[in-house]
Amino acid sequence: MTDWTLCIDFGTAYSKAAAAPADAWSRFEPSMVRPLMLSGHHHHGNPFLLDSAVFVDEGRVLFGRAAIARADALGDKKRMALKSFKTLLSVSDLDRALNTNAPLSIDPHRIFQMRDLIVLYLAFLLEAVEQACAADTLVAGATRMSRRYAAPAWRSGDSAGMHQVIVQLFGEAEAFRALVGKKLMSPDGLPLSTISSALPKALANARAMDIGLIFEATAAAAYTSVGLEDAGSHLIVVDMGAGTTDIAALARVGARTIELPEARVTMKQAGDFIDRIIANLVIENASWARSKDDQSELWNVLMRQMRDIKESVFADGRATLRHRGKNITLSMRDIERDADFKAFYKNLSEAFAHGLMVVRGDAVLRGQTEVQAIAVGGGAAAPFIQGLLKKKTTRATPRVVARPATPDWAHAREFQGNLAPVFPQLAISIGGALAPDDMLAARGGVSPVAAVRTDIEAAPD
Amino acid sequence: MPAAAKPKAKPPARGASKKGAARKRAAPAASLAGALAEAAWAEADLALAEALAYLDEAQGAGDQAAYADVLELVAQSLSRAARKRGLARLGKLGAREAYDANLHDLNGAGSRPPKTVRVEARGVARGGDVLVKTRVGRLGAPKRP
Repeated sequence: MTDWTLCIDFGTAYSKAAAAPADAWSRFEPSMVRPLMLSGHHHHGNPFLLDSAVFVDEGRVLFGRAAIARADALGDKKRMALKSFKTLLSVSDLDRALNTNAPLSIDPHRIFQMRDLIVLYLAFLLEAVEQACAADTLVAGATRMSRRYAAPAWRSGDSAGMHQVIVQLFGEAEAFRALVGKKLMSPDGLPLSTISSALPKALANARAMDIGLIFEATAAAAYTSVGLEDAGSHLIVVDMGAGTTDIAALARVGARTIELPEARVTMKQAGDFIDRIIANLVIENASWARSKDDQSELWNVLMRQMRDIKESVFADGRATLRHRGKNITLSMRDIERDADFKAFYKNLSEAFAHGLMVVRGDAVLRGQTEVQAIAVGGGAAAPFIQGLLKKKTTRATPRVVARPATPDWAHAREFQGNLAPVFPQLAISIGGALAPDDMLAARGGVSPVAAVRTDIEAAPD
Repeated sequence: MPAAAKPKAKPPARGASKKGAARKRAAPAASLAGALAEAAWAEADLALAEALAYLDEAQGAGDQAAYADVLELVAQSLSRAARKRGLARLGKLGAREAYDANLHDLNGAGSRPPKTVRVEARGVARGGDVLVKTRVGRLGAPKRP
């Protein structure tokens, strides 16, 4: 096997990448799915996750885990790492957002635009991908590697236009990587002098990139359906991330997978919203934390442990937090009784019902009898999301079949039980690598053109 | 500038090539599984460490209420470590299930296996593998403390 497909998922908190043989869709072998160790150069932590962060330091720029650590160390000096590129890349006026100067808390030297920092991060990511591919003996043998990246369906609906901008950024990043090479992976980052010399050249000489776009919902469809005899033709995906909850519906028409745009709903309430509900509930019930300082301290403790708290609440129905020697317990029932949650759940149920109506209608038109439902993202395990997927419908056909968040093939013997626990984090990159070209939302690249810089002033910090 | 000549590769030792090739083939799957395990353990380690610290606190608890409070945290940390390693509980405490010798470990004596049993302690599985069978009791038998 010499032709491989690589998919990059640059997530809000972490970037991930996976590779699979180009014919994996038609000849699926779980052992050939290769999540890539983007942080393989680190000796601690999860080697498959690359922190999505850039930190502009005194005389250098740090990337990934080093950027987070340095920003934490200087937290009291109002310095911040640039994170959440994904959120930036999905704004409606992307050009304007990219050409905005980075705020002072991120770039105290006032030399970088947001575009520059994203290009630098993408160069770091591409170098990490390159090194991870070389370290994987199966992937290293690839003679041809086709690339794609995963993204949510753009809210503006102009997928092709946004794709061209992203490809341009990748092209600039590739040019920068070619100039700087392995130095990008240094734990000490890159000196500003190196960047000042190489970045303008890279921006002016972007490389032509051949990289496709796959929607995250389609990637979810791919890892859910691959290798299944009864994969079904229609799928509804509920993707609850940190900032948004997206509902998308897909239909397979011949070899192609199309999105049913009328089913798409994006809600601004998602994981972060649930976090705030939980934190407010705990603080309301903590009778001993009445002063502003006490509440602020408790809020910070809660936010640091929120991932674990949510995981316990979702899995066990309750979570207990120890603070100042006292136990604070919160149950799923407490959350369900909250007025804000009730309003959110009502909207979510209606959005899901709408999406389901659209996808079932399309299934009927195409003579299909089944719609599959799947949840992805950080909220996939939430009982209220799983409850939605399994809710009985009023009409018997087409029937709705809830698929597990982790597909059965992730439990294959070859992985010795080790893929399934980390699968949710790597799922989109894996699905993106498995999907055939017909499933892509956009393909190919662009002829490189120099970036237009308009020096828009940053908003106040 | 002319390219430098490639250094000649050292010939492999006799008998080493087959073993080497086999190792090369076996390595990718093993190393990926190892790295995946490392990724899962990175988070499970922290939860286990927390459980150990809480266990000490439980052992030194002054009264029953304090002991129960800390025990809840021990259980929560252990559950989290197990989830990070892909372990899942089987069944529901107190539920009635059809007896299955492959899934159930029957408490108490009896000449014939029962048709229906009550779950007394949940089993643990990873994927399709049952690591610990669900402990069950006969219906009507006194509940274990």
